[in-house]
Order: sequence, then C-alpha cells, then structure tokens
Amino acid sequence: MKADLLTPFTNAACQTFKLLLDVDALAEAAQGVDGESDQSNRVHVAIGITGDLTGEVLYRFPADTTLEIVKTMSGMEFSEIDEFVTSALGEIANIISGNAVTDLSQMEIVCDILPPEILGDGTQARSNETTYAFTARVNTSIGDIEVLLQLQS
Amino acid sequence: MIWKEKYKIGVPLIDAQHEELFARVTNFVETLRSDKEWDEKVNSVNDTLGFMKDYVVTHFRDEEAYQEEIGYPGLEEHRKTHQDMVSYVGSISEQYEQNGFKEITMQQFAGKLVTWLVNHVVADDQKIADYANQEGK
Ligand SMILES: [Fe+2]
Repeated sequence: MKADLLTPFTNAACQTFKLLLDVDALAEAAQGVDGESDQSNRVHVAIGITGDLTGEVLYRFPADTTLEIVKTMSGMEFSEIDEFVTSALGEIANIISGNAVTDLSQMEIVCDILPPEILGDGTQARSNETTYAFTARVNTSIGDIEVLLQLQS
Repeated sequence: MIWKEKYKIGVPLIDAQHEELFARVTNFVETLRSDKEWDEKVNSVNDTLGFMKDYVVTHFRDEEAYQEEIGYPGLEEHRKTHQDMVSYVGSISEQYEQNGFKEITMQQFAGKLVTWLVNHVVADDQKIADYANQEGK
C-alpha cells in the first residue's frame, strides 16, 4: 500500500518534465534500482519530508540529462555540472516534490518539504546509510530519472 | 532564456511584462555566464542584477492588480508565491553584499531563478489565464 505514496512523486515528475521542458515522460515501478544501477555519473538531490509522513525523497539524474534540462530551460549551453546547474536541478526537485505534496494533501496526507540538498554523484550519496524502500524510474527521451522514497514508519 | 508563445496568458500587459522579465533575466544570466574572469564581469553582473530585480517588483505588483481586477480566487496564494520569491531575492542579495560579491552566490541564485521563473510562468500564471477564459473575462 505504501508504494502508492511514490506515485504522486513520479506523476509530478512526469508533469514537470512535460510542462517545463516539453519532454514526454513515463513512470515505471523499478525493483532494486538502489543496488543495480551505476551511480557514478548521476547527480543526486534529496528532499526531506515532514508532517504526516517523515522521511526523504531522492532523485537521481544522469549527468547528461541534468545538462540537457538546464540547457532547455535557459537556452544556453552547459558543459559541466557546476553551481548554477546543481541549483537549477535542486529547484526542479523542489517543484516536483511540492506538487507531489499538494497531491498527497488531496489524499488527506499533509506534509511539508525541506530545501533540496545536492548530494553530488554516487560517491557522496547517503544511499549506503539509508534504505529507500520504494523506488521507481521515470523514463524520458533525455534520460531516465530514478525516484526513491524512504519513510519512517 | 527563450520566450515561447505558449507562455502567453492572453493579457497584453502581463504578456509584455513577462517577455521583458525574460529578457532582463537572460541579460543577467548571459553576463554571469560569459567567458570572462569574475573581476572583469562583476560590475556588469551587478548592474544587470539590479535592472532585473527592479522589474520583478513592478511586474509582480501589476500582475497581482490584474488578478484582483478579475476576482481571481487564487490571488492570496499567488501573492504568497510572489512574496516568497521577493524575500528569497532579498536574502540572497544581502548575503551577496555581505560576502563581498562572491561569484558562487550568484551562480546558485541564477540557476534557481531560471527554473523558478519558467515554472511560475507555465504553471502558476497559466492558472490565471484558465480562470479568465473560463469566466469569459
Ligand atoms: Fe505570477
């Protein structure tokens, strides 16, 4: 039942891609995303959740997808993941999570989100310490984003 | 930033202001991202930043006045979104002045600003247009 709590996040991710980037996106449940995929070339953004749910949602964006997102929004070229790029990506994650939380409130689940935290690539990520119980993948034409949700019961 | 037809909400004043706001943000971001050393560009970054900030205030005020005029029910929420952005810009500017105009502060600010603005125009401001159309205003 709790896996359903991930749906508002993946739905919001799809909507945000469509609206902000004109990119079609499709979510799929993904078992074992955590251990299997290569994290070395991804940017991780974590957003804390408080309220009726307590935990964290983690978004993993491939580096080239990240650059493409920022290029599309700014109309400028970007060749490396710098402070501008991570900040733009953090705001994307913030928008997605904000929309997901609005969606959850319609299911009578009232939560707040914390400011985005950029965890860099897989080497800095905390996924080793934290177990993300619910994982999904959002497939888009500019790359696949992983969405992981970890909740305290 | 690239202005798109789909960003229009169908109110000439607001559409023109959005386009102008995009132009000023673009000017600021292009100056910030130009290939020069920070020392060489910091003054023009600060000028374009000021020019952009002034316009944000004007535009938010006019857009809120329009919402009031048509009796938009989401006005209070929208006003809060504007106010949150204005206070974020205020606190970043303060931090930037206090740290002696550090480049990293502006790079972080600009990345968030670009994303916020695109989302605000396509999501929040479009809702004003939806209401106006629905009410035949
Ligand atoms: Fe607005």
